[in-house]
Amino acid sequence: MTFFAADVNELALGIFALVVAITLGITYWASKRVATATDFWAAGRGLTGVQNGFAIAGDYMSAASFLGIAGLIFLFGFDGFLYSVGFLVAFLTVLFLLGERMRNSGKYTIADVLSFRMKQRPARAAAALGTLAVAGFYLIAQMVGAGVLINALVGIGFELAVIITGAFMIIYIVAGGMLATSWVQIIKAILLMTATVVLTLFVLGEVGWNPVDLFREARAESPEGASYLQPGLFLSSPIDTVSLGIALVLGTAGLPHILMRFFTVPDAKAARSSVMWAVALIGAFYVMTTALGFGARAILGEGATEAVGTGGNLAAPLLAEEVGGGAGTVGGDLFLAIIAAVAFATILAVVAGLVISASGAVAHDVWSNIVRQGHDSEKEEVWVAKIAAFAIGAIAIAIAVIGGEGLNVSFMVGLAFAVAASAIFPALLLALTWRRFNTTGAVTGVLIGTFTSIALVIISPTVWPGPDAEGGLFSWYDLANPGIVSVPLGFIGCWLGTMLSREEVAARSFDELYVRSETGLGAETGTGLTLTGRRGAPRTAATAATTTIPHP
Amino acid sequence: MAATESPTAGGSDHHPEIDWVAAERSPEFRELIKRKRAFVVPATIFFLAWYFGFIILAGYAPDFMGEEFITDGFTVGYALALSQFIMTWGLGWWYLRKADRVFDPLAERAAEVALQAGAEARPGRFERTADERTGQAAPLPGAPRPGPSRPNRPSGS
Repeated sequence: MTFFAADVNELALGIFALVVAITLGITYWASKRVATATDFWAAGRGLTGVQNGFAIAGDYMSAASFLGIAGLIFLFGFDGFLYSVGFLVAFLTVLFLLGERMRNSGKYTIADVLSFRMKQRPARAAAALGTLAVAGFYLIAQMVGAGVLINALVGIGFELAVIITGAFMIIYIVAGGMLATSWVQIIKAILLMTATVVLTLFVLGEVGWNPVDLFREARAESPEGASYLQPGLFLSSPIDTVSLGIALVLGTAGLPHILMRFFTVPDAKAARSSVMWAVALIGAFYVMTTALGFGARAILGEGATEAVGTGGNLAAPLLAEEVGGGAGTVGGDLFLAIIAAVAFATILAVVAGLVISASGAVAHDVWSNIVRQGHDSEKEEVWVAKIAAFAIGAIAIAIAVIGGEGLNVSFMVGLAFAVAASAIFPALLLALTWRRFNTTGAVTGVLIGTFTSIALVIISPTVWPGPDAEGGLFSWYDLANPGIVSVPLGFIGCWLGTMLSREEVAARSFDELYVRSETGLGAETGTGLTLTGRRGAPRTAATAATTTIPHP
Repeated sequence: MAATESPTAGGSDHHPEIDWVAAERSPEFRELIKRKRAFVVPATIFFLAWYFGFIILAGYAPDFMGEEFITDGFTVGYALALSQFIMTWGLGWWYLRKADRVFDPLAERAAEVALQAGAEARPGRFERTADERTGQAAPLPGAPRPGPSRPNRPSGS
């Protein structure tokens, strides 16, 4: 095991250290302010819409977006940009169908909303299973990706890179909870947006400030010619393209670490405005992936295909080096180091968000509500949450190190989106909108959605027998993305389970959940902890009622 | 907090006095749902149709997507992709405006009516003075009641 490769990039390491020092300072500051479970999981519900919008953007835009999409566009042209479109449009699903309703009817986890009118233990267990599946697949993919990228960009060995990433992630959460996580995500969003804007301006400057020239030069640099600017080079099966689209546009609305962020704002209005801030930021970012990806093709050219790696992940950093002045120059080295540090911050913010959502599933859902059935103290709940975060982080590090850089992670992000779209999204949506829906329906829906997604990904030709094999395991199934099959199956599971069982309570308490989720009546209030750390007078139920309801 | 919570309740502020079934049937709540559905259902159908139209074209008509649009190098596919961004920003902004101006005041009215019906069902729960109680006709759950159309709200963000 070599910890340091020969060519450690000291400049990048120095900027890494700076980013880490800032985030650790914030974590120390946050650790003094996190006392209650509401502080730990929901940052005291004291974030403003703008702050939460930045944090959602920081939570959502992973290194897969930043480096992966730029790489896909560099290698395959238009098809890479299809991901950018899907990742953004998905936020309309969140805005219209789930965001505000989650805020109005939930507390810390998606299980709070799913189990509101159902039998607590089975419904929470199902939601926790879905959460852990999504967060687990996503987390391992991110950890392995982090190791590979940091190794390539900074020259630290793969194992050490994974351990460092995991260690910081654990420190943020155990010490600073959601407050530290939110600030890490906000800072990351600012860093990522700034770096992307600067890189885009440099790229546009290179092509004479005419964006269309970007496409013309990219086309000229591609051996595919005109095909480079049209779909089909990466996603060659039409039905697979549609299937991917379904998973992207519905999966985001089922990602537990994104939905959890809505519990950090004081009310539904702030939840709504945070989605719009996130949409503005994320949209601007994904438009700029055009400049990163097509720019890398136009400026680096076909000759860089070897250097950008198999997934094209190094296209953006190499582009930064080139427009900064080229390899070996001060400008080139500095720009490369900055992009590397931004990529590192990006990974840290996403993995922290994933681990805190998984810790909520373990501590709040499984321990506090299923094992202890609500008889534990709040202090105990926070302690269990910290232990869970530590354990989840340690397990993720272990899997990533043991699996090694050869672990095929490209399908894992797709799997996370498939489970989110097929298991979590249908159950949550129906819990909030369908009166007849009940515990049996929720449990069957989540189980069918989760396991068909996993099974279909395993038998997809790229996973088993493997990417180089001819044809799939079964001749009748050759989809790489399971969404078009697994999402309908998830909904059918919910429907079938409901129809085959009878549960009076669920239908009767639907009225309560419905009125609460639409009006915000009785919604969880904050502890008065604001993001700047001031703790105001805690809002009691009575003051909340008087501020919402004017006395005639 | 966790110790005192009943296992079936989702919120810390339980409002046991509210008759949720009546609240759900109140005209105020029905009006909120009607107005909200009138926006969200068509908007959702529209954005899904626009998005999947784009995806289906990308999958099944790659050559059409590669055709020149306005100027050389700018393809139909890229123009349609950009239209998705504009649609997302536009629909999101429209929803935000609609929610601030129409849905929020309606939601507050519905909440107000539910709370008041609950308070009247259990007098003394909210300490109300006698003239407050007599100064106004007791609203039947459901009867539209004149009142401030835009009540004060806690500032959200």
